[in-house]
Amino acid sequence: MLNISSILEEIKKTPYTDLSVRAPHTGTLVFTDINEGDSVNSSSGQWQEIPGTKIATITREKNPKPILATQKGFLQKLHMKYNNSFVEAGVEIAVLRHFLSKQEVVHILLQKALHLFNAPERAKYYFAPDIDKKLKISGHKNITVTDGMDLFIVSRMKREIPLAYHGPEGLIYEVYFEQNQNVDAGKPLIGICPPDQLSIIEDVISRVYHEWQEQE
Amino acid sequence: MEKEHKVLIANRGEIAVRIIQACHKLGLSFVAVYTAEDAHSGHVALAKELGDSKSLYRISSYHDANELLSIADAANATAIHPGYGFFAEDFRFARRVTERDRPLIFIGPSWRVIRELGDKINTKRLARSLDIPTVPGSDKPIYDEAEAEKVARSLFEFQVHQGVEKPLVLVKASAGGGGMGIEEVYDIDLFRSVYRRIRNYAMRQFKDDGVLIEQRIKNFNHLEVQVLCDRAGKNPVHFGTRNCSIQSTGLQKRVEIAPGFDPSSITYPFDAQKVMDDITEYSITLARKVNYDSVGTWEWIVTKDGHPFLMEVNTRIQVENGVSAAISRIKGKADVDLIAEQIRCGLGDPLGYTQSDITFDGIGIEYRIIAEDTEQNFTPWVGNIDNFSWNHTPWLNMHTHLPQITKENPYTIPTEFDPNLALGIIWGTDLENVKERGKEFLNALSITGYNGQSSTLKSNIPFLLKNTDRILRF
Repeated sequence: MLNISSILEEIKKTPYTDLSVRAPHTGTLVFTDINEGDSVNSSSGQWQEIPGTKIATITREKNPKPILATQKGFLQKLHMKYNNSFVEAGVEIAVLRHFLSKQEVVHILLQKALHLFNAPERAKYYFAPDIDKKLKISGHKNITVTDGMDLFIVSRMKREIPLAYHGPEGLIYEVYFEQNQNVDAGKPLIGICPPDQLSIIEDVISRVYHEWQEQE
Repeated sequence: MEKEHKVLIANRGEIAVRIIQACHKLGLSFVAVYTAEDAHSGHVALAKELGDSKSLYRISSYHDANELLSIADAANATAIHPGYGFFAEDFRFARRVTERDRPLIFIGPSWRVIRELGDKINTKRLARSLDIPTVPGSDKPIYDEAEAEKVARSLFEFQVHQGVEKPLVLVKASAGGGGMGIEEVYDIDLFRSVYRRIRNYAMRQFKDDGVLIEQRIKNFNHLEVQVLCDRAGKNPVHFGTRNCSIQSTGLQKRVEIAPGFDPSSITYPFDAQKVMDDITEYSITLARKVNYDSVGTWEWIVTKDGHPFLMEVNTRIQVENGVSAAISRIKGKADVDLIAEQIRCGLGDPLGYTQSDITFDGIGIEYRIIAEDTEQNFTPWVGNIDNFSWNHTPWLNMHTHLPQITKENPYTIPTEFDPNLALGIIWGTDLENVKERGKEFLNALSITGYNGQSSTLKSNIPFLLKNTDRILRF
């Protein structure tokens, strides 16, 4: 049985995640007028039309690209040593401390409460076409999966093979992957909620919404 | 070379290793690149070993031209070697590299040559203008149904006249490639329905409903001619022929043999030596016509009765360059390195020899060693390799980008790329000798590995062994 109280207490000890902000590609990096400790926002608005806070600009071959905050939080660390210098792809340029929202705490708890179906290998994953169609029409929480059902297409090295779901029957409660992105072996693809545990899961969510205090 | 040069190697894996080695041999500086997935590749380790602090950069993608050019500037590179794949046959990239504010040398043909020969239809027209045989059929996209049927009908009649038992015609989307939008027709009465289907497909996929009609040739051998010329583009030479007929079900090459036929030990129903002489002469004629100014490969179909047809020209170094080098001698010297020759000539050195200085000795086989399940439609196998070893002998040249592997330090095959592991190039005095050595090499080759699904490594070694006996035959 899931001990929600103890997990919540554990999360409260460090109610944030430190996100590494990295150079998306090689180029010359110039930080904007920003300092360690400054608060930043992610993109927002109904259509995400308001961009996140600009941290730096990286330029290669006269093509400048802004590096924007992807989460709300504050800048824990800025690697100013890279200012005005040529950096390689993937270099950490800043660390952004982001305080967990209620939704994110729910997300963490659900990963412990749901039956997770994991990626068997590093590859790109897609829902099988008929499932994908249903998912787009009615949302994943209305799709019931059963053991042995062909649920995914695994795509790697220009080849595609079907992948059957194995596990208890239930609703697809969470989807953890994005199409066109590689998923590492062992990482969860979906979280399944068996029908008899639906009420427990809903209790978890409701407790988090009542108990969790979001920090700015 | 008059000027000091630094070469940016815009590629990965085996070819990046080869280019680093060639630069080192020529005394040239280089700068290599790698993505996060390739952090443990042998080309990265070699760049660290042979280069300086500005010889290696991590990039986000091998496909990002802006990124590559920004590295060229940051590292003060003067030239770019594209290797094979990625930007190797992209004339726009070659043009951009050579015509930017800070121009660089593109170590490949000049962009006009890539543009001219990169278009298969244009190559076909050019070849026909020089009386070089090409696959019978149209040499321009056809948009009119009646005209298309007329061409198809004449191709059926031509094949009947040639004594072909079951004439076939191919209908292709002219803008397509790689096997997409191609159908066979065996009966002229079915032609119009196939034509309409392909035309509609071409319109949907490529926004161009032009269609090519060609004879479908079966039972052929796939031969190549290796060409090289310096920047003057005046006196191209060839390094003989190769036979690349042993392929996977997806028509990917697996074994290459040089020369393309061996009339000294196999009896062909045609004059095989004459066919090889003819295709090398035709290839050189076309190279001379376009002022070809780098390495390149002329790809040929040779039918079972000895008719050659030019398929296309690959305006780059090819994977199988090493097998031609293995049997070639320049002014009597072995150790020919076509990549070093490409770099040397690409940077402006004259060739320094003529065709009469190039001789051939023995037979070479190149095996492409790949982690794949040949029983399951050549499905790539991915996972960790914990052992990769072979017997070192003087007649074997092994090209690999795999780093030093141990049980404790396995190599993970990146899922982003094809699981090619190595090229094993064997040299033998004659066909029997090289086949014997080839089998000896494959039998002693040891590769083991595992993946997350507890599957043990699958490789194409049994396929290569099985096919060694049928090389150079139809």
